[in-house]
Amino acid sequence: MLDQSLTEFLECGLAIHIGTRNEAMRPNGCRVTAVRVEEQGRHLVAYLPKAANADVFDDLRSNGQAAVSLTRPTDDRAVQVKGEFIAMRDADPSEESFVLGQWQSLLKELDLIGLAPLTSTSTWLMWPCVAVTIRVTAVFSQTPGPEAGAVLA
Amino acid sequence: MSLGLEQMTACFQGILPSMFFTCSKDGTPNAAFLSHVDYVDPTHVALSFQFFNKSRRNVAENPYAMIRVIDPDTNQGYMMRLKFERSETSGPIFDRMFLRIEAIASYVGLKGIFKLKAADIYQVESVDLVPEEPGRKERWSPKGRRHLDPVFTMKALQELSTRMTAANNLDELLESILSGIKEFFGFSHSMIAIAGEKPNTLITIASRGYPERGVGSEVQFGEGVIGVVAEAQQPIRISGLVRGMLYAAAARKRAFERGWRPQESVKLPGLENPSSQLGVPLVVRGELIGVLCIESETPYRFHEEDKNTIEMLGASLAIAIQNMQLKEASEEPAHKPAPAAAASAPMKKNGKVRREIAYYPREEVVMLDGDYLIRSLPARILWKLLQTHKREGRAEFTNRELRLDKSLGLPDFKDNLETRLLLLRRRLDEKAEDIRLVPVGRGRFALELGCAIDLVEK
Repeated sequence: MLDQSLTEFLECGLAIHIGTRNEAMRPNGCRVTAVRVEEQGRHLVAYLPKAANADVFDDLRSNGQAAVSLTRPTDDRAVQVKGEFIAMRDADPSEESFVLGQWQSLLKELDLIGLAPLTSTSTWLMWPCVAVTIRVTAVFSQTPGPEAGAVLA
Repeated sequence: MSLGLEQMTACFQGILPSMFFTCSKDGTPNAAFLSHVDYVDPTHVALSFQFFNKSRRNVAENPYAMIRVIDPDTNQGYMMRLKFERSETSGPIFDRMFLRIEAIASYVGLKGIFKLKAADIYQVESVDLVPEEPGRKERWSPKGRRHLDPVFTMKALQELSTRMTAANNLDELLESILSGIKEFFGFSHSMIAIAGEKPNTLITIASRGYPERGVGSEVQFGEGVIGVVAEAQQPIRISGLVRGMLYAAAARKRAFERGWRPQESVKLPGLENPSSQLGVPLVVRGELIGVLCIESETPYRFHEEDKNTIEMLGASLAIAIQNMQLKEASEEPAHKPAPAAAASAPMKKNGKVRREIAYYPREEVVMLDGDYLIRSLPARILWKLLQTHKREGRAEFTNRELRLDKSLGLPDFKDNLETRLLLLRRRLDEKAEDIRLVPVGRGRFALELGCAIDLVEK
C-alpha cells in the first residue's frame, strides 16, 4: 500500500496525529512522535508518546479503527493513512534515535515557517513511546484544496 | 467544562495549527489540520469550513468531534470535545473569519477559490489539558528578549494623541503617527494608505521602516490586508500569516493542477516575511479615509484583548487626518513661512543635467527618464506646474489656483488637493532629488528644479 516514494515522505519528519473513536462513536486523538513503514508498505508503526491521552490506547484495543494524519508544515503536503490496529508494545530504547530523529526534523521544518514558539519548547513529552502497529487499509491525499481526499493507495 | 474558554483566547489566533478529529457513521475515524478555530462565547467555538472534505461529511453524519489547540504563549496543548450545532454564512463571527481568510487568499491569488464557505459553530462539551503537551509557566519570549507585554495600552494611545496634536500640517501629522507607533507601541514597520482618486483604490502616502517608502503605490479594494480592510471597513489581525499563506498556497497548487488559473498574485507590501499583520480602517462617519497597516516579524503580536484599543486608535487617527485635510483645504494662501519650508535644505543645481519628463494624457501617467513616477491627479498637477514654469518662468504656486483650475478636473466637493500635493511631494522626494515641491507659506508652495527639464507629451 505504501510504496517507496510514500515511505520516504512519511518517514522524513512530519507533523503526525492519530485519530481513533470509542464505542459511542466519539472521536479521540493524540500526537504521534514518529512513524515507520514495515512489511513492504502494508503496516505502519506509529510511535505514540507514552504520556498521551489514555483514551486513544483504549480505543485502539477495543475497536481498532485508526486514522493517521501526516503533514509537512513547509508546504502543507499531507497524507492520511487509514488502518486497523494489530498490536502495541513499549518502544525499545534502540528505537529512540530513529524516533527522535524524525521529531527533530519536524522541529527544523517548523522553524523554517516561523513557529519558533513551538520549537523552542522542551516541555513536551515525546519519548518514551508506545509503538502501535496498524494494518494499512487505505491512503488518501490530505493536502488542502479541491483534491483533498483523493485516493493514493 | 474543566477549563474555561475565556482564558484560552491566545489559542485561537491561528499561529499554531489545530487538529480536528471526527468519525463517520460507520465508525471510521478521521484526523485533519484545521485552517482556523475562533472563539465565539464561553461555551462555543467556530471552525472554518472551506472545502467539502471528509471532516465535514463526518460531522454531517455524526455531530461529535474533538479539536486540539496549542497556547502559543506557553505551548500547553488543550483538547476540546465538541458537538456540531449550526453553520453560519453571515453575521459577525462569519465576517471575522471571512476577512482573515480573504486577506491571506488575496496574497496568493486565490480569491474566490480559497474562501470561507461557512463558520461552523460547535458547542464545547469539555476542555482538558493534553497530557503529552504540558506547557511552561512563563510566557514565551522571542530569542530571550523580554516577554511580549500588551502594547495597545491607554497610556500609549494618550502619548500618540499628544504627539499628533502638535502637528501643523498633514505631512507632520502622518510622520507623527508613524513615529509614535514606533515609539509608543513598539512597531517599526507601518504604513498609511489613503483613499485614492479612482473608486475602490487606496494609495500609500506614508510608510516607516521599509527600504522603499512605496509612496504612490496603489492597492485595490479586496487586495491583501490593506485592501480587505478597506473593503470591509473592519480591522484585521493576522498572527500566523506565514502558516496561513503556506496553507493557502498548498490549496492554490492543487487547484492549479486541476486546470484552474489564478489571478495574478499581489506582491506583499512591506516586510518580506511578516509574521503578524494588523490592518485598521480609518473611518469617519462611515467614510473611509484610509487604512493603517502595521507589520511585525514576531508572530502572535496582536492579541484579542487589544481589539477595543485598536478600534479606538483607528477612530482617533481617522478624525485627526480628516480634520487636518479640512483645515488645510480651508486655509487662505499666506506668505508666512511654513515650518517645512524652514527645514528644507537648499538644492544643488546643475543645469548640465537634463531629465526627460513625459506625460501620457490617456493613462494620466508621468514618467521620469523612462521610469514610472506618478499617476492620476498628482500626475496632472505636476504636468501643469512644469508647463506653467516653462511657459511663464513662474516657480511659486498656490493651492487655491490649482483648486480653481478646471483643466485639472478636481471634484467640486472634497477634492483632497492638499493630500494629493503631499503625495506628489513625497513621491518626488523619493524618486527625483533635483525636482521638488517646497511649502513656502500657508497654501503656497514652490517648484524647485536642480536640473534642466525636457517636457514631452506622448
